[in-house]
Order: sequence, then C-alpha cells, then structure tokens
Amino acid sequence: MTDTTTANTTPPLKRALIFLLSHRAAGLFLFILLLLGIVSVVNPAFLEVQNLKDIAVQAAPVCIISCGLMLVLVSGEIDISVGSMMGLLAACMGAMVSESRGHLPPGTAIVLTLGIGVVIGLLNGWLVAYAGVPSIIVTLGMLTALRGVTEIVMGGSWITDLPDGIRFLGTGAFMGVPISLWTALGVILISLWLIHRTAIGRRIYAIGSNPHAAYLAGLPIRPLKLFVFAWTGLLTGVATLVSVPQLSVVDSGIGVGLELLVVTCVVVGGTAVSGGLGNLSGVLCGVILMTMISTVLIFMKLGENATYWSRAIQGLFILGAIIADHWISRQRKS
Amino acid sequence: MKQRILNMIWQPETFLIVLLGILFAAMGRLDASFLQWEVQRALSSHVWELAIIAIPMTLIILTAGIDLSVGSVMGLSAITTGMLFQKGLPLPLACSASLLVGIFCGFLNGWFITRMKVHPLIITLATMAAYRGMAEGISHAKPVSGFPDSFTWLGQGDWFGLPVAAWVFAVMVGLVLWMMHGRAFGVGIYAIGHNETATRFSGLRVDRYLVALYTFSGFASALAAVLFVARRNTAKADAGMGMELGVITAVVIGGVSIFGGRGTLIGACLGVLLIHETREFVSWHWNRDELNLLALGILLILSVVFQKLLRHKQGSAL
Repeated sequence: MTDTTTANTTPPLKRALIFLLSHRAAGLFLFILLLLGIVSVVNPAFLEVQNLKDIAVQAAPVCIISCGLMLVLVSGEIDISVGSMMGLLAACMGAMVSESRGHLPPGTAIVLTLGIGVVIGLLNGWLVAYAGVPSIIVTLGMLTALRGVTEIVMGGSWITDLPDGIRFLGTGAFMGVPISLWTALGVILISLWLIHRTAIGRRIYAIGSNPHAAYLAGLPIRPLKLFVFAWTGLLTGVATLVSVPQLSVVDSGIGVGLELLVVTCVVVGGTAVSGGLGNLSGVLCGVILMTMISTVLIFMKLGENATYWSRAIQGLFILGAIIADHWISRQRKS
Repeated sequence: MKQRILNMIWQPETFLIVLLGILFAAMGRLDASFLQWEVQRALSSHVWELAIIAIPMTLIILTAGIDLSVGSVMGLSAITTGMLFQKGLPLPLACSASLLVGIFCGFLNGWFITRMKVHPLIITLATMAAYRGMAEGISHAKPVSGFPDSFTWLGQGDWFGLPVAAWVFAVMVGLVLWMMHGRAFGVGIYAIGHNETATRFSGLRVDRYLVALYTFSGFASALAAVLFVARRNTAKADAGMGMELGVITAVVIGGVSIFGGRGTLIGACLGVLLIHETREFVSWHWNRDELNLLALGILLILSVVFQKLLRHKQGSAL
C-alpha cells in the first residue's frame, strides 16, 4: 500500500495527531502555546517578563543536564544518578570555596567541580561499558551512594558562606540575561554541533539504534558509552555551577528528584527509551513544558494544594509519552 | 563428581553463608551485645517489609524484569489506609481497600509492560513517580496517625514469640517455594528469564505470567504498607521511600542474576539477611546512617560485578 492511499483512508484529524506526535517538537510546541493561552486567560500575571524569566532560570540547569542525558538515552543506556551527582558536586563546590572550609579561589573550585563531575561520569561509564553492569543498576547504586558521600562532605551542617566570586555565577547577568541562560544556550549549540556535525554524535545514534550492526561495523562502542556518561557528568557539573550559587546556602537536599525530572523531559521530548531516536528540539520543548508545569499549577489558582500533584503529573507525562510512542509505531505498521 | 562439588562451592548461596558467618563473627568481636536474641528480635522489625517485597521482586528479576515502583506503591497504599481510616471507615475495610489499590497498581504495571513492549524499568520508573505523586496529591503530604491498638498490634505485637510480620513473611515464602519447586509455574519463570522469545514460541502464556508477577508485587507492597503503617502508627505519603533500592540490592546480592533466569528465592532471603544485619550494625555501632547509604549503593554495584565474575568461573568449572 502506498503512502497516498493510506493518506486517503485515514481521517484528517487522526493524520494531524499522528503528525504532531511523531514530530514531537511541533506537537509539544503547540501544547505549550495552548497551556500558555489557558493560563494567561485565567491569570494574566503569568505572562509578565519577570515570571517568564524565573521559569527560564529554573529551566536552564534542567536543560543543560537534559542535553547530556538525551545522548545517554540515545546510546541505549540510562542515567538516574544526575540528581545525587548534583547534590555531591554542590557540596564539594561549597566546601571548596567556603571561607570556613576549603577557602580555594573560585576559579580553582570551578575547575575541580567540573573535574569531579567528569570523574563520576567516567566511573559510571566504565562500570557500564567495561564491567558490563546494566546502567540502571550502576546509576541506581550511585543515586544512593553519592547521597551518602554528600552527607560525609557536608559533615552534618549547611554551607552558608559562599563568597561573591562564586555567587556571581548564579546571580550575575550579561546584557541583562542571567549567566545560566547564556550557559544553557552555549550547551545547546555545542550539543547541536556534537550531534549533527561530528562522527561521535552520529555514532552514538548508530550504537543506540542497532548495537549489533554498530559492532559489526567496527564502531568503538565502549569508548562511546564511556564518553556519553562522562559528558553527562561534565554537564551536571556545569548545571551545578550556574544553579546552586543562586542561593547563598548549600544544603544536602540539592538535586533530590532531579533525575526523574530530567528523564521526564527527555522522554516526553520524544527520545526513545530503547535508544537510537531523539532530537534536541523535542527535548528542549520537553524541558520548557515540564519546568512550566509547577508554576502553571500555582498560577491556575487551583488552590495551594495543587502543587502537591506535580510529581504525579510528571509520572503521567512519561506514561503518556510511552503510550504515544507505542500508538505511533502501531499506526506506522498498519 | 569433582565438578559437582566445584559447582556447589561456586553457588552464590554458599558464598553468602560464608560471608554471613564472617560478618556475624566480626560483629560479635566488635560488639557482642548486638547479637543478643532480644536485640535481634527488636531490630528485625525493620526488615520484614523489605523481606516481603523481596519475594515478588526475586520472581520479577528472574524473568529479567525489574519493579522500581514498589516503594511508591507502599506510599499510595499507606495513604489509602490512612485517609479511609480518617474518613471513619472501619480498619479492616480500609486495609482491604489499600490491598486492592496495591493489586491494581501492580496490575497496571504488568499491563503496561506487556502491552507497550517497553522495558519494565521505564514503565516502573514512570509509575514510581505517578504513584508517589498521587499519594502526595491525595494526602497533601500530611500524615495520618492515631490508629487503635488492635491495629498497631499487626506491626508491633508478637505472636508465638515472633513479630506478626515475620509470620506473614514465612507464610508467603512457604507458599512461593511450594509454587516454584518442580512446578510448571517455577519452570516457566526461569524459562522466561532465560529466553523470553523461545518461551513464547513454546506456547507458554508469557504475558499472563508477567502480569501475574507484577500484580503480586503490587499486592506484596500493599501488604508491606499496612504492616508499615501499623508499626509506625502513622500513614504518610513518603512511606517506603527508597525501598526499591534496598529490595533490589538484597535480591541481587542474594545471587539472583539481573539478566534473568538464574538465582533462587533462598539466596534472595540470605541477601535480605545480609543487607539487614549490615545496615542495623552500622546504625547500632557507629550510629551513622550516611555510611549505610554509601554502603548500600556500592554493595549493589559490586554484587553485580562479582556476579559476572562468578558466572565466568562457574562456566569454566563446568
């Protein structure tokens, strides 16, 4: 059966739905516009510049990490340790720059924080690629173990004296736009280049979509997997540096539940959990949508208790994305 | 003959028993008071919920699956018990309702997994968020307490010298062992774990098995939730937070292969014992819970690495 005959037999509404679900970025973009329309009718204050800026600043670290996690998922693995990793990196960064603890210059601390992120990422990647442990087990173990390390680094008390040098990363702005947004933009551009213009990017898609063929084609599967985990570790470090200094306090609860938010964004953005599929524009729309939701819940005037449902909504969104993927693949087959 | 003995030595269960022996000897050296019967019995109240959930988790991991939502099902079931009790429903009804909620949650997991053909870890990661979120949404993260003594007896009381939860666990282990041993059910589970496609083609209704197992997991989580609420005398949305990690670690340490098809329920029970004793001893002797978090995470990863090495050895011994 050719395309034209299928097109003729399917009702136009269903065709539109199939198009929007399979072009995830377009579908999500429309959904975001719809949501914006509804919430701005209920509460016009939502569209104020300050509020939109707050949402963007919230979305920036999520966006930075999602760029890395997307590649992990595309390569056919998963990383649920990013939240704990952020907690640990925040504690390390705080302990290094704090005047009462390490008292290192901010520049050194920044480099060391990124370095620790890469090392943890490499450890994850090594365990997955070379020791052959499934990534869910490695990162589930890390999720807990790193929390333990964080508590040890924090030593039972909060870090409250972050110096101005490091606070600038969180509070400073360049041309009126917060540094975290510039960083997110930079990470997006680098990721686009990595995915579309380098052999590494294309090969990551290859090993995700057909590992066996990639192996037969002689692709360096293990180094590539090591790379995606290390890259995610580095980006988690970047996200920590631009988001944690927004507040003057580092406590041990930073990043709790972040892994789930990031996975939700990436999966809702159309990245296939089985690997090999996913594009950055979809993931970006996923990030914007998921970070909007908690603010939307507040602005919809549903009452104070509505925010308690945000986690349930996250879970339902992942399930929804899975169902949509399943439905699409069935439509394609028939 | 030599090979058979070698094979027996390389069994994970043998290692676990040796490891437990060393552990008990070390604990006795460091702090003999920890090993007193009364202390052990009192501390054991912390483990029964984990142990009960470990039974279905073992079966699920044997089929090469995983259930990350067990802790969240506990949270949702605990809240169901609490909210219905608060609304004035008699407790037996509230408990039955929470068991039904658990069964339904588990069934939903199984249904999604078999229908969507997506790896269980993604489905249960999603439902982990969804169920926990519902528990938080329904309860507004507020606790319910003030249960009558007749109910808290379930979690705090003894029956014939052992905690009630221990008897629940014993009955469940007995039933599952009876079901597994030499019966089609047990063989089927191992077959699915070894090669799901081949099992499907040999005419076994794989999907029914999987739905049944995930439903059983939901039921066990709800049962654990009722015992948890009775023990703590509080129903809160964060009940069973992080439970999935403890359960999976225990089962994997117990020699059940995360790739499916290998391992035994007895091994998993030994794994639970090992985790429990280590955890309680660190809290008892050093009183530092962050070490426990660290140890649990590292143990999980190491046990899988070790398992791979062990299989390698076993392969060469055969």
